Amino acid sequence: MSEEKKPEERKKRRTATEAAAKIGPIQKANIQGVAQAREEGKKVAYTFICCCYDEIIRAMDIVPMWTETYAGICGAKRDAQRFLERAESENFSRSLCTYALCGLGFDAWREELGEMPPEAPWGGQVRPDMMLGSGQMLCDPRNKWYQAAQHYMPDVPIYDVGLPWPPYEDDYDYREVQDYYVKYIVKELKGLVKFLEKHTGKKMDWERLSELVDLTDKTWNLIWEAYELRRAVPTPMGTGDAMNTMVPMVFNMGTQEGYDYYKDLYDELKLKIANKEGVIPDEKYRLVWGGGLPSWFALSDFNYFNSKGAVFPVETTYRMIEAIYNFDMDLTKITDPLEHIAWRWVKFWTYWHDRARKRPGSHPDVERLIKYIEDYKIDGIVMHEAFSCRSWHVGLIWQLNQLKRVYRDIPSLILESDIVDISSYNEADTRARIDAFIDTLEAVKSR
Amino acid sequence: MPGEITGGGLTTVDKYYQDYGCRARELKKQGKQIIGYLCAFTPVEIITAAGFIPFRIKGDVNEPITKADTEMETIVCPLVRSCFDMALKGKYEFLDGLVVPHACDSICRTYDIWKYSLNLPYAHFINMPHGTGDASLEFYQEVLNTFRTSLAKFAGKEISDQALAEAIKLHNQNRARVKELYQLRKASPPLISGEELTKVLIAAMSLPVEESIEMLGGVIDEVKGRGALFAQKPARIMVIGAQVDDIAFIKLIEDSGAWVVADDLCPGAREFLASVDVTADPIAGLAERYLRKIKCGRTYREMTGNYEEYLEDRFGHMGRMIDDFGVDRVVLYIYKYCDPYGFEVPQIKSYIEAKGTPVLYLEDEYSMSTIGRLRTRIQAFLELLVK
Ligand code: SF4
Ligand code: SF4
Repeated sequence: MSEEKKPEERKKRRTATEAAAKIGPIQKANIQGVAQAREEGKKVAYTFICCCYDEIIRAMDIVPMWTETYAGICGAKRDAQRFLERAESENFSRSLCTYALCGLGFDAWREELGEMPPEAPWGGQVRPDMMLGSGQMLCDPRNKWYQAAQHYMPDVPIYDVGLPWPPYEDDYDYREVQDYYVKYIVKELKGLVKFLEKHTGKKMDWERLSELVDLTDKTWNLIWEAYELRRAVPTPMGTGDAMNTMVPMVFNMGTQEGYDYYKDLYDELKLKIANKEGVIPDEKYRLVWGGGLPSWFALSDFNYFNSKGAVFPVETTYRMIEAIYNFDMDLTKITDPLEHIAWRWVKFWTYWHDRARKRPGSHPDVERLIKYIEDYKIDGIVMHEAFSCRSWHVGLIWQLNQLKRVYRDIPSLILESDIVDISSYNEADTRARIDAFIDTLEAVKSR
Repeated sequence: MPGEITGGGLTTVDKYYQDYGCRARELKKQGKQIIGYLCAFTPVEIITAAGFIPFRIKGDVNEPITKADTEMETIVCPLVRSCFDMALKGKYEFLDGLVVPHACDSICRTYDIWKYSLNLPYAHFINMPHGTGDASLEFYQEVLNTFRTSLAKFAGKEISDQALAEAIKLHNQNRARVKELYQLRKASPPLISGEELTKVLIAAMSLPVEESIEMLGGVIDEVKGRGALFAQKPARIMVIGAQVDDIAFIKLIEDSGAWVVADDLCPGAREFLASVDVTADPIAGLAERYLRKIKCGRTYREMTGNYEEYLEDRFGHMGRMIDDFGVDRVVLYIYKYCDPYGFEVPQIKSYIEAKGTPVLYLEDEYSMSTIGRLRTRIQAFLELLVK
């Protein structure tokens, strides 16, 4: 695409916290560092967020190329369309995950050229030595995407980690099945270690792995504590910023930098609270971002909400942690690092089950919303339905309906667009819907 | 009971196809309990062994989706939305329970919506892993045992190994009859049309297995008895895709001057050509079949050997069918929002084309409203052939 046709890049969004403002360079280093590491002879792996292998790859010095984030960056730079179109011309349906389409379009193009496509954002998505997929209870692209990428890179091996978690059911409790889930996940992770050892020619340093696992536990606790500070009125940080501060949570886990980042965030939020410094000084409405990945090209919509007196002290999206010490088992007693990772995973995904069981007709996802509504003094719920990702965007309507049935009626808004595909977005419409929602909130408040 | 369904194989089929679920409704009145399920990955043997009648929920391409949208996002695959819409509209009011396997995102992510909206006395999600390695197989056996225990609790009685072994035998017998029917497609022109065969398979998924076996027997006899009925057509087509539970698309191809003689679909070859091995622990045989023997995009097959060998492992069965059934053109028919198959399109297409068979890839929406557009594409594809 020629320079003049390239859609205009957005101006930098205004953030409330310094922590969020710092993310740009961190993210850039995450991506640009890959090419450099590659030159230094390190092995590069295509990776997904939230796949339990963070500490494992760090311990083995594998350099992650986060493919979802690369697509997100192309989206945020409003430069994803040419890669999406390329994928479409390869016969991938435009209804599939646009992260995957962007990545596959990029791969097809890069492999055809034998070099990066022209003006690839941030230097481009580096050709990997291996791809680490994952079979989970959500997100088919996690095991289909890399398989599809092999069409362009048949020589690049894949390891697909099975990572299920117990579903929420009426006639049995997750505790009745958790042991065999953990046993399976441990085997899958052992398989991953073997795979990495084979393809790097290096042995796993188990001691280092244990240290990194401990570090991650500590980081999870710290993030949880920092995020809980956002309960304050006025809230010192909103979801717009959280879409930045999530970066180390999903891309830099098992690293000291990740931990240090949240230490700074924690301190910054404490200070803001002490100074009564909020995202906006005069909060009229406190909202929860109740689900859905954001439109990366339209994060300034959060600022638009702010301009209307609305803030988001909490969100369910990208809050992929809980305080380890709140789990119903003492994880510190599990010294085997792989077992530890497996238990942490299962405990995370079953965390809300017990609460749900106590309220007839409820469900873990609905309970989580209720808890946030109460803890963060919430007036309304906003969700985003991104058309291309079923994983996080199916069940939103139902959750709202169920919330109403088992709890109470609360104003809600479901925005519709996409994570990457800007052609699905209309700013004027979106803002008109936000305005109408604000009117509803106002009407409810003055009742 | 079998007495009620004799009197013409294909006529019976037609009745069960046109009024899908009519037999289940009757049986319900007689005091039987019916368990609805989605997708070929539901281990129907366990449902049969528990004394229930497994009933596959289907959609309706002629019925616009209206009610479903109040609970379920439109980004779910249209087939699942249509099934749910039909359920909400009371088409399956006879169901006592629902079983949903971990097939794809569209099915997995909607389980809770189904469960809470229909609010049936029984619901269960079978958390099938994606992988096919030994650890996955072992895990899947545990998952199947969890299902077995849960369903037994609902049935109020244990599901014995013997009952399972008997159910496996019956379902294998059912599959063997379908295989026999497929043999009749090999002749040129085929002895049974694609449209007829699709109807048969759809009717079969609404019946108790014993009745299905009986019905299939009747169809085989009738088709063999009537001999070569059809005229030659210039093309023999294989259709590859996910679930096709309606004759509309197959009929469209056959009305355009071709016979549909082979498929990799469900209901169809994907689910009927693989049977369950008899194993000391029946769960082991079931796990092996559903996880490893059924080749479907939802399952991740670990790479063994080089890339060519890997493609052969994933798609070799398609190539063999093309050869065995004298297929000269392939239609790859995929629904919008279908993740497992959407990602496979370039690989399947190039695999088959490399073997010398042309492929037409069509993306569709599970609705009669798109038929006109598809007809034009299919006709153009068939014209290429006669040139
Ligand atoms: S489907 Fe959703 S969760 Fe999965 S890779 Fe795509 S954006 Fe991520
Ligand atoms: S058609 Fe595809 S998305 Fe729909 S249920 Fe089947 S496998 Fe799932």
